[in-house]
Amino acid sequence: MTMKITRRNFIAAVVGGVVGIQVTPLPWKFTDDAAIWTQNWPWVPVPAEGAVTEENTVCNLCPGGCGISVRKVAERAVKIEGRTDYPVNPGGICPVGMGGLQLLYDDDMRFPGPMKRAGARGQGQFVNITWGEAYDILAGRIAKLRKDGTPEALAAIDGNYAGTTTGLLVERFMRSVGSPNYVKPNAITDTYHMGNLLMMGKSVPMAYDLENSDFILSFGCGLLEGWGAPGRVMNAWGMWHDANPKNRKTRVVQVESRASNTASKADFWVAPRPGTDGALALGIAHVLIKKGRVDERFINGFTYGFDDLTSSEGQSQPGFKTIVSNKYSPVQVERITGVDAGTIVALANAFSKAKAPVAVYGKGKNNLNGSLYEFMAVQSLNAVKGRINRPGGVLVPDPLPLAPLPEFDPDEVAAKGLETPRIDGAGTKAYPFTDSLINHFADAINQGARSPVDTLLVFSANPFFTVPDGPGFMNALEKIPFIVSFSPYRDETANMADLILPDHTYLEKIEDIVWPVGLQYPLYGLTKPVVEPVNDTQHAGDVIISLSKAVGEATGSAFPWENFEEALQARAKGLFDAGGGLVHYDASKPPWKFKPFGNGQKPSYKSFDDMWGEMKSGGMWFQPVKLAGMDGLFATSSGKFEFVSQKLRQTINETAAQTSQKAALDQMGIRVAGAEAFMGHYAAPKLGVDRSKYPLFMVPYEMINLSSGWIATPPFLYKTIFASQLLKEESFAAVNPETAAKYKLQQGDRAIVKSPVGELRVRIDLFEGAMPEMVYMPLGFGHTAYDEYQKDKGVNPNNIVKALNDPVSGYPLWWNTPVTLTKA
Amino acid sequence: MKKSNDHGKPETGHESTNGSGQKYGMVIDLDKCTGCGTCMVACAAENNVSVRADQSDKERVITWMRLYKISNGKKFPHTEVSYFPRPCMHCDHHPPCVSVCVATATKLDFNTGIVSQIYTRCIGCRYCQAACPYGARYFNWWDSFPQDKGMDRYLTPEVSPRMRGVVEKCTFCHHRLMRAKNQAYAEDRRELEEGEYITACTEACPAQAITFGDLNKPDHKVSQLIKHPYAFRLLDRLGTEPKVYYLSSRDWVRKLADNFLPGEYEPVVNRTWAEDEWSTKPGRDEF
Amino acid sequence: MDSPLIPHGVKRCTPGVFFLWTLPWLALLAWGGLSAFLCLWKGLNQTNMSNVFAFALWIVFDLAVIALGAGAFFTGFLTYIVGRKELKSIINTAVVIGFICYSGAMVMLGIDIGQPVRGWFIMWHANIHSMLVEVSFCITCYLVVLAIEFIPLILENRQIEKVKELRFLGHNLHEIMAVFAATGTFLSFFHQGSLGGMFGVMYARPFAAREGFYIWPWTFFLFVLSAIACGPCFTILCTKLTEFLSRKKLVPDDAIEFLAKLSGRLLAVYLILKTFDYLGWIYGIVPRSGLTFMDFFRDGPYGVWLIVAEMIFCGLLPAIILLTPGGRKSQGALIFASLLNCTGIVLNRFLFIIVTLAVPVMPFDRFWGYLPTWQEWGIGLAVVGYGFLVFSLAYRYLPMFPKEIELNPVPSE
Ligand SMILES: Nc1nc2c(c(=O)[nH]1)N[C@H]1C(S)=C(S)[C@@H](COP(=O)(O)OP(=O)(O)OC[C@H]3O[C@@H](n4cnc5c(=O)[nH]c(N)nc54)[C@H](O)[C@@H]3O)O[C@H]1N2
Ligand SMILES: Nc1nc2c(c(=O)[nH]1)N[C@H]1C(S)=C(S)[C@@H](COP(=O)(O)OP(=O)(O)OC[C@H]3O[C@@H](n4cnc5c(=O)[nH]c(N)nc54)[C@H](O)[C@@H]3O)O[C@H]1N2
Ligand code: SF4
Ligand code: SF4
Ligand code: SF4
Ligand code: SF4
Ligand code: SF4
Ligand SMILES: [Mo]
Repeated sequence: MTMKITRRNFIAAVVGGVVGIQVTPLPWKFTDDAAIWTQNWPWVPVPAEGAVTEENTVCNLCPGGCGISVRKVAERAVKIEGRTDYPVNPGGICPVGMGGLQLLYDDDMRFPGPMKRAGARGQGQFVNITWGEAYDILAGRIAKLRKDGTPEALAAIDGNYAGTTTGLLVERFMRSVGSPNYVKPNAITDTYHMGNLLMMGKSVPMAYDLENSDFILSFGCGLLEGWGAPGRVMNAWGMWHDANPKNRKTRVVQVESRASNTASKADFWVAPRPGTDGALALGIAHVLIKKGRVDERFINGFTYGFDDLTSSEGQSQPGFKTIVSNKYSPVQVERITGVDAGTIVALANAFSKAKAPVAVYGKGKNNLNGSLYEFMAVQSLNAVKGRINRPGGVLVPDPLPLAPLPEFDPDEVAAKGLETPRIDGAGTKAYPFTDSLINHFADAINQGARSPVDTLLVFSANPFFTVPDGPGFMNALEKIPFIVSFSPYRDETANMADLILPDHTYLEKIEDIVWPVGLQYPLYGLTKPVVEPVNDTQHAGDVIISLSKAVGEATGSAFPWENFEEALQARAKGLFDAGGGLVHYDASKPPWKFKPFGNGQKPSYKSFDDMWGEMKSGGMWFQPVKLAGMDGLFATSSGKFEFVSQKLRQTINETAAQTSQKAALDQMGIRVAGAEAFMGHYAAPKLGVDRSKYPLFMVPYEMINLSSGWIATPPFLYKTIFASQLLKEESFAAVNPETAAKYKLQQGDRAIVKSPVGELRVRIDLFEGAMPEMVYMPLGFGHTAYDEYQKDKGVNPNNIVKALNDPVSGYPLWWNTPVTLTKA
Repeated sequence: MKKSNDHGKPETGHESTNGSGQKYGMVIDLDKCTGCGTCMVACAAENNVSVRADQSDKERVITWMRLYKISNGKKFPHTEVSYFPRPCMHCDHHPPCVSVCVATATKLDFNTGIVSQIYTRCIGCRYCQAACPYGARYFNWWDSFPQDKGMDRYLTPEVSPRMRGVVEKCTFCHHRLMRAKNQAYAEDRRELEEGEYITACTEACPAQAITFGDLNKPDHKVSQLIKHPYAFRLLDRLGTEPKVYYLSSRDWVRKLADNFLPGEYEPVVNRTWAEDEWSTKPGRDEF
Repeated sequence: MDSPLIPHGVKRCTPGVFFLWTLPWLALLAWGGLSAFLCLWKGLNQTNMSNVFAFALWIVFDLAVIALGAGAFFTGFLTYIVGRKELKSIINTAVVIGFICYSGAMVMLGIDIGQPVRGWFIMWHANIHSMLVEVSFCITCYLVVLAIEFIPLILENRQIEKVKELRFLGHNLHEIMAVFAATGTFLSFFHQGSLGGMFGVMYARPFAAREGFYIWPWTFFLFVLSAIACGPCFTILCTKLTEFLSRKKLVPDDAIEFLAKLSGRLLAVYLILKTFDYLGWIYGIVPRSGLTFMDFFRDGPYGVWLIVAEMIFCGLLPAIILLTPGGRKSQGALIFASLLNCTGIVLNRFLFIIVTLAVPVMPFDRFWGYLPTWQEWGIGLAVVGYGFLVFSLAYRYLPMFPKEIELNPVPSE
């Protein structure tokens, strides 16, 4: 039977078909399937299941050393959490630590393995090589420098935290090769150590007993910006601010020119001009002295230089008391600082009324150095009130009892190399107490026609980005013939390197944390590998040991260890020998409580191996806080706390003997004369810039939720940045509305901030919390390397910092760069 | 608006959590909060929240927990800044987002008080976003998770990554409740202890500013904290009955938490410590 | 060329001219097509919508065209249920406009949701509390009704009419059109209302929130009323534009005048109620939320002028013109008033959508701006292009204006 296709039955068929299909399950099935497909798009990741485990370790993304536990699903790390069984940070951690897994797993940010430069410097183009090739290239180069008798042309920049074993190994390697040019970026701890050396005669960790204090007068410490051990400080902040007024015993006063987080959330905020904190501290001391509210017992029994002094020739010299009384009255200090005299008196009253006040000194995070004299002024205030070696004050602990690494004798080549002067001038007559001067290192390279450095090793540091005066550093890097980076990350400095020997990241390796900054009790933290290395990387410590052997027998003999962990253990033996250290933490017995828990806890281990095993699983060795006896506490020549540093006086006098007193002072950048030069004081810096051309100051500032130094910023953190700090690609400078109005700038306007060194394009954030006539710029933006998350986001204020030298220490004064502001 | 605007439905209580089950809630102490943002990062890390190249595009970035920066607006040097960490409020009274959802992709669980979100059900109409006054809901404008960067290695299987085109929000880390419950059942317990189920942001906060617990249990710390005279809620007068409470001793902070007509706001704290200390400011003449 | 398709006894331009006329509309459609493709392929990141502006240009277009398309159900109601015979001369136009508006809105909505393939979840996993569910249900059903109302007209095409069955179908559909008109009226009442309800129920958005009137937020009724007050004016506008372009009279004055008068009256009633709405809102809801009227207009480009424009220039002024016989009689005044009336409703919808979202509720939140991308404009304008195209085709090939021949007798060839 054939059916003729007529128009009629064609239409019927079509209509019938359409209707018919509706009653079949087909369309419904397709619709449903399509919806199910949208729920299972193949490009949406499905995280694999697996056995769940928790690994305890310690974060070392900053020297705060928080206890963390890493949640793992099979072999994958999926979450970092704070540990409640760790003394530093009972539970919480900072945002950088919380984002740590992105630093581990972001492929775009990391080097896959050892690499060799392929493109032009700075472009970040590299090709893979083997570890064998990498060792050959580097060892060959170093061996050649030694053969040529120029081992000092090898230099290292080492960002490993002070006192860590990797840092010591790098330094030892440099000595064994024969180069004095081991340079560390400067941090606040350098200022602490120098100040402590000059006033107390020993370079000991800064131990602020914050938890036991009831009045914290913070001179510039970014308590909430990442100062000290951030996990510890923020936890203390929570304790201090309990909603229950009965539990609220501690008051915090912040001294800072900008309404930072700390300043805003403190109980009171005092805003002196940047760089005048020292004068304010002395102004408070003045009031205390005038009102007789000083600690006579401490001053008379344990200090030197408070009252007038008699020099060896029998001349009377004014002491601390006289100088402060004459030069730092509230009215005089008001003129220097801009802080109203009445406020200074009120601060003094509050400080002296408190039971356990402490004045703490810092500059934002720990990341950047402070000013020596400023620190000394603040310490003097503590001393006037007898707050040294008192609960709730400044404790004077012994350094950690780590065993020193065995001595070794540099060979002939090395010994000759070590006699050459350091390129950066640290330790010379001008900067006698300084270990490293990274800015001067760059300057020295830039000055000559040829770079005195042939090969530069860079460990855990990104000076290209972090050193004030970045362009200067970049020029220096360009001039250095061969740069080797040990960074696991594609950072700015690594992009300038010729050879990459990537380190593990902190979750892939064992590493130590030596006394987190500011802690009042000794603590040694141990980071351990929680995942297998993700990439073809090697521990920098192991690399150093292998390298020393590859360079030659002489260097190799300085490293009697098979691997890094052996070196760690060699030092940790000292902890065991000291006895009494705890390797477990019981949250009910905080280590900062003097009583009833402070004493009498017994170690849980019997042998060193026992202890080491427990340390590796628990990540800590610590001793609860204890008060040192006053006998022999101070190692100064007077045996006392010195308001007027005899060590400083002696050093200056020695130099003066060869030239003149004035020349000696000038060389060190000291701008006062007499006893004042040997004590904490304030002197206006000589800017050497026409202020009428640069009427404003640019002050960089740091944020807790942005990494500005050692590590990259985990991409998650950019979620936390406010639209008034970074919006799309542009970062903001905070300016007081009054000041902005002078330059016809409104919220969000684009502007140029220009210093004698360079200029940056920013947007303007009108912020009442900014001191008038200042331009505040966040540190941590403006990367030109890493991955798409960080690259080209905002600008780096370091690029326009014009840093003067801090007197005596030579560290950069990075907080007052004269600038202009113009609408773009 | 509180009393009657529930688009006509009488207040039977059937759309707010009942008294017998759990009613999880949160108290955030703004005096303790340091503005560090760890809670934001912890939340993103815990809940597989996407990271896109432009995280500073504030209008499209996904932040279940979001920190707001607020200021008292006073002139230098009397300026103060504070922070408002803002998760989803888990509104207890007709959550504005729930009644509007076309596909029943978001629900208030009467037994826990948690306002859930089902990504595979959501059609992405964004009506809920329009209805939520707290900006707590986020749309996936992109295929959300970065590909070929190796970052999918840190994703947790406890929270499903989202597809493009759906709305997501803070779930009070619901999977942690499941985790705790499983643990309890394994130990033959029906009730959870206080602290057994806490959210990732609570746990992460370095200042212990966040407290989490069951508002139906008088002995839980949250139940006690919300009775504190400093306790308040965000936009309380709209009648959404948030289960997230705040504490602050600063009146200007409390005042910024809601809209007030002139004269309506009644200060709680009359004098701060600083005002006390500084009130008898000695003059400069003394020296 | 296409003369066999053109209805008997009417005069249309040449195919060439017609083709040229369609070009701009085809261009808009192509632009829209590309935009739609990008939005579906790459996602809504192609727009400038954000978590702040979760609803944006498209929703404004949606709500506007749905309100403007209200002429269809309302004219249907008047023609078939009330029995206004004079409206038979314009009902076809109203239906075509309605169909265009509703189908355009549906397509736009389909692109606007983040997961279009899951769109049917609205029906399948319906949340009966959601106004948007009510809207979606009613609009979908009503679109079917509109299609059914449109079909007899299509079947009247000269060629289609030749098929006996189809002619029969068309005839029978005509007979029962009252049933569909009634259904349409019912459905439209609800979805126009629910569209208003959508905003009124957002009780935590004080700018949009409106207290309950029995079980409804009162925006429910305001939206219905405003839609029927302006829908007829839009029908008039479309008719007048067709008359202007074709240079002939297509609809007798009685129909136009009736619609205009009705529009004017409804608009007047609406304005009175809307005034009460504003007063109730300003003195009730707003202060209860701790706000003052002016708080909503502090930042951004949205000022009180919007409300003045909505109420006075696009409300009171057209109402007066439409209510005065002189105003209705004057072609210029009538068109001007209709334009204002239609602008008014767009402004009203704009306020409810954009301003509601633009005004931050938390006192410390900031105002964010929003400008649509070309993709968003593309899709919005494609609906305009689509409207012109369908309307032109319908006018060319269908006996859309039953009185056309009568009003324009063609001299016999
Ligand atoms: N949130 C946040 N926090 C941060 C950062 C961030 O980006 N975000 N940045 C972090 C970074 S990058 C850094 S580097 C830090 C800065 O941290 P640094 O200032 O670089 O800290 P260290 O110098 O490592 O100090 C370690 C501690 O050990 C003690 N110590 C070490 N070696 C010796 C020694 O030989 N003798 C004695 N007596 N004591 C010793 C010191 O007193 C000190 O307390 O700040 C960190 N903080
Ligand atoms: N503006 C500004 N200037 C600063 C600072 C600052 O915070 N801001 N900080 C000052 C301080 S405290 C310091 S310490 C310096 C620090 O700053 P630097 O040490 O000069 O530089 P960072 O950027 O911290 O270097 C971090 C780099 O170390 C690499 N890295 C990360 N983890 C590892 C690892 O496990 N092993 C190895 N081998 N490399 C790793 C990564 O490439 C990372 O980019 O700069 C100082 N200057
Ligand atoms: S404070 Fe330092 S140690 Fe602690 S989590 Fe943050 S980066 Fe790590
Ligand atoms: S983690 Fe805690 S302190 Fe930090 S922002 Fe969040 S709530 Fe505040
Ligand atoms: S805060 Fe917003 S998202 Fe959360 S329950 Fe309330 S309305 Fe819904
Ligand atoms: S976007 Fe998703 S959750 Fe929100 S209302 Fe629409 S369907 Fe519901
Ligand atoms: S409760 Fe969980 S989901 Fe909600 S903000 Fe906190 S961490 Fe994020
Ligand atoms: Mo650092």
